[in-house]
Amino acid sequence: MKKNRFGSRFLIGLCFLFLYLPIFLLIFFSFNKGDSSAVWKGFSLRWYAELFRNRLVLESLATTLLVSLLATAIATVAGTFAAIGIYSLTKKWRDPVLVVNDLPMMNADIVTGVSLLLLFVAFFRGWGAIAAWLNSWQSLIQFPTRLTLGLGTLLIAHVSFNIPYVILNVAPRLRQMDANLVEAAQDLGCTWIQAFFKVILPEIKPGIVSGALIAFTMSVDDFVISYFTAGSATQTLSMTIYSMTKKRVTPVVNAVSTLIFLAVLILLIINNIREARQDKLAAKRASFEPVRVDPRAERFRAWLGTPRGKLARRVAAAALCVVFVSTTVFLTAFTTSRPVVNVCSWGEYIDEDLIDEFEAETGIRVNYQTAESNEALYSLLSNGGADYDVVVPSDYMISQLIEEGRLEELDYSQIPNFEKIDDRFKNLPYDPENKYTVPYTWGTVGIIYNETMVDEEIDSWAALYDSKYAGQVLLINNSRDAFGIALKYLGYSVNTTDAGEITQAYELVRDAYERGVFQGKVMDEVFQTMEGGNAAFATYYAGDYLSMLENNEDLRFVVPKEGSNWFVDAMCVLKDAPNYDNAMKWINFIASTDSNLRNMDYIWYASPNKEALEMYPEWYEEQYGEALDPEIYEIMAAPQEVLDRCEMYVCLPKATRALYNDLWIKLGL
Amino acid sequence: MSKELIRLKDVTMTFDDVTVLKDINIYFNDKEFLTLLGPSGCGKTTMLRIIGGFQTPTTGDVFFDGERINDVPPYRRQVNTVFQKYALFPHLNVYENVAFGLRIPRETTYENGKTEKVKLSRDEIDSRVREMLEVVSLKGFERRSIASLSGGQQQRVAIARALVNRPKVLLLDEPLGALDMRLRKDMQQELKRIQQQMGITFINVTHDQEEALAMSDTVVVMNEGVIQQIGTPEDIYNEPKNAFVADFIGESNIVDGIMRADRVVEIFNRRFACLDGGFEKDEPVDVVIRPEDVDIVSEAEGQLRGTVTSVTFKGVHYDTIVDFYGFKWLIQTTDYCPVGSRIGIRIDPDGFHVMKKSKYSGLYGDYSSYSEEYDEINDPTLLDVEEEGAGDEE
Repeated sequence: MKKNRFGSRFLIGLCFLFLYLPIFLLIFFSFNKGDSSAVWKGFSLRWYAELFRNRLVLESLATTLLVSLLATAIATVAGTFAAIGIYSLTKKWRDPVLVVNDLPMMNADIVTGVSLLLLFVAFFRGWGAIAAWLNSWQSLIQFPTRLTLGLGTLLIAHVSFNIPYVILNVAPRLRQMDANLVEAAQDLGCTWIQAFFKVILPEIKPGIVSGALIAFTMSVDDFVISYFTAGSATQTLSMTIYSMTKKRVTPVVNAVSTLIFLAVLILLIINNIREARQDKLAAKRASFEPVRVDPRAERFRAWLGTPRGKLARRVAAAALCVVFVSTTVFLTAFTTSRPVVNVCSWGEYIDEDLIDEFEAETGIRVNYQTAESNEALYSLLSNGGADYDVVVPSDYMISQLIEEGRLEELDYSQIPNFEKIDDRFKNLPYDPENKYTVPYTWGTVGIIYNETMVDEEIDSWAALYDSKYAGQVLLINNSRDAFGIALKYLGYSVNTTDAGEITQAYELVRDAYERGVFQGKVMDEVFQTMEGGNAAFATYYAGDYLSMLENNEDLRFVVPKEGSNWFVDAMCVLKDAPNYDNAMKWINFIASTDSNLRNMDYIWYASPNKEALEMYPEWYEEQYGEALDPEIYEIMAAPQEVLDRCEMYVCLPKATRALYNDLWIKLGL
Repeated sequence: MSKELIRLKDVTMTFDDVTVLKDINIYFNDKEFLTLLGPSGCGKTTMLRIIGGFQTPTTGDVFFDGERINDVPPYRRQVNTVFQKYALFPHLNVYENVAFGLRIPRETTYENGKTEKVKLSRDEIDSRVREMLEVVSLKGFERRSIASLSGGQQQRVAIARALVNRPKVLLLDEPLGALDMRLRKDMQQELKRIQQQMGITFINVTHDQEEALAMSDTVVVMNEGVIQQIGTPEDIYNEPKNAFVADFIGESNIVDGIMRADRVVEIFNRRFACLDGGFEKDEPVDVVIRPEDVDIVSEAEGQLRGTVTSVTFKGVHYDTIVDFYGFKWLIQTTDYCPVGSRIGIRIDPDGFHVMKKSKYSGLYGDYSSYSEEYDEINDPTLLDVEEEGAGDEE
């Protein structure tokens, strides 16, 4: 018996450990001084400080709260009335309706999200005609003819997935309620509405409260449905966190998550205390003892009944309304005020102080959103919901967008800072006449390796396929880069369309895979794995190497002698951008030498601004009082002879893309 | 006393093709204690709900004080209801439950035709609530929560909550159904007292014949959506209109008979003197003989002779089942006759009650399945009542 008990305790302990260890780890690392999620560098609150300066997080938090509160309020009212309606159906209808109500909750979020998106897009398509017709016979209200996804659609989506939860919580309360209560109230002089407020509402209040709480939690928590329905200019907290983890789990995410966890914990504790109190009270009532009422509470209640108390009650209610409405208005204004420019970039890809400065300087609000990858951006653009002004895609994606006519030519007369862009980064193959783009950053792909885990000089891609390093190599998780590197190693162009060459590259990777060289395919995990010293080799971007270096001094970076890929991310403006002129101002602002210096310093990617690129070591010394390691500078801004070895990706023809895809699947890693 | 207050005229009520009330014509007098009595499903509760305004008759009209009120919602009727399970508001204490109706602003029509919503003052509400709690003997319970009250106390709160609005009619839907037997007895007295004190009409619904007889000025016996008989408790008991009423009210031996002449009835081929008349000569009739109207005598002296088949001791009397020519009678007597003994019986002329044949003839009144009949009544409270009721008659 004793042994048994120990065993069960041990198992319970294990369960809790499994459940809570990740959370504790997250809380622990939110206080990390360093910016790694794998290496502890001492206690610090810097990520919390950063969190509250991070406007992307704050804005999306505001959006989340606004949408969740409004959606909860609307869904609670609608769901409560729906539950009452369902409850008053005959049994023949009630049960099927309740089953129908359950379905959306069991439905996969992704299905809900996609179907709502389809609905909205279909509606928008029809709306143009409706609005034109409405505007044609009256001039009092001018309806906009073009609608886009945004706060409105997000709110509608949240309301629609919240309602079933409210119904689910309210319906059992109604079932428990004595069916004669409403009749009794009517009998005593109430109209139905009065009976509702005086009898039904107090009876089902616990159900409504728990329904609202669940709805609110679901709303705050939701990612998938929001992702499909928020459109381009609106971003919820969960979407922001997701885009932040795109590159790596920054400790800011740890800090946000810790705060969310604490908020939920506090809510839970409050709720439990409330319930315990109610149980106690109920127990007391059920035992025939008279309930002892706090005399202060009694006096307060009596005072509320007096004319002065009633006035106070009304004032309090009015004040609450005012607070709620003004918060709503404020939050709405905060998220949608004009003039604006909508920018979509990558996570952790800008010194955010620049956004504030731009806003202060121009009075234009920057709606700064992030996408996860070029492909994600492309799908956002192609399903039509997005209304960004400025996007920052990479070279090959730019050429594809130009080809498809999705970009607007830039008005370079409004972008005097374009002059400062190094000629090397003008008229590149993706935009040969430079009509559409202003470069944002550039960089190289190379081998990141852990010096302590190799005993030779690494200067060739060969190391990545060497049995000597079996289980120590991280393969980059996208076909273009994985095969591109192999092509380069074999001496071919990364842009080859020769199926034989590509197949050779495939066989090279395949062979290494079969020999057990690769530890796994990674994208974002590369940071943790390399910083933690858990792999010897990875293929990644120079800029990201530099941030890994901060957490693990043993890491080295090299652009192999066979050559590599180099890339440019450039700012472009989408066709029919709603805020074209503001977009020009933004691009000009970002192209300035000062902006480039600060971005370069912040994200460790090289600047295309000639002045900034040259000035950076000097500027660094001024800022930090120490000289910049020239080796680091060289990695950040690869010298021309390195670039000469490298090739830029171009958009591959469809057949080649399909071949890449097939081979990648065949690799089946 | 007897001013007409409510009238139902040709009221028929159907739910999903099921007719619950059929061509009901009835009136209720002011200040009367009236009971709608009948087995479950007889339509008595539906009739109450039509008066209360919770249901609108399919056809026919409802009049209150001469005014048609079919479409007047419950909250505008001068009628209040005590619901079956009381339907007290669990979130309010005793005081607030009683005060509930008073706190609702009432639409009042003045003589000049103007209407206005009038709210009672706090003091008036307070005095009326306290007064009413005193009437139902719940003084000192003001702050108690509903859940802490016993069934009888909840019942009183429900009555107070309804009466505090000073209705002209109080409707009670099986008000005593949920109480235990002793409490039910007390509440019968209590209800009667309250009705007399308030001086208003009570319309009570029950399936308990003993309760109906004990409390009511008038009893309305219903079955299958049709009124079977209206009368004072004594009329209903002594002069049942048909076999259903005879069987439903008290215990009855109902046998087939033939009226040979006025005041002469023939049963089992024997002629007996009775007090009934006005039938055609040789008309087949139902004859009711109450178990307590039968005297057991020696076999030789008896007008009828039979064999005792079962004896049950009931405290005050014995329930004795006697087989007469294959028909089993229930006889309630203080004389003990052992099972198997041969006995004779005598019935005085006033012991016979002769009824015209009806659709219920032949359905009731034979005690050959006596024991099974008791088994069928599996509701213990119901059983209690019937035994008690039978005991009371002696």
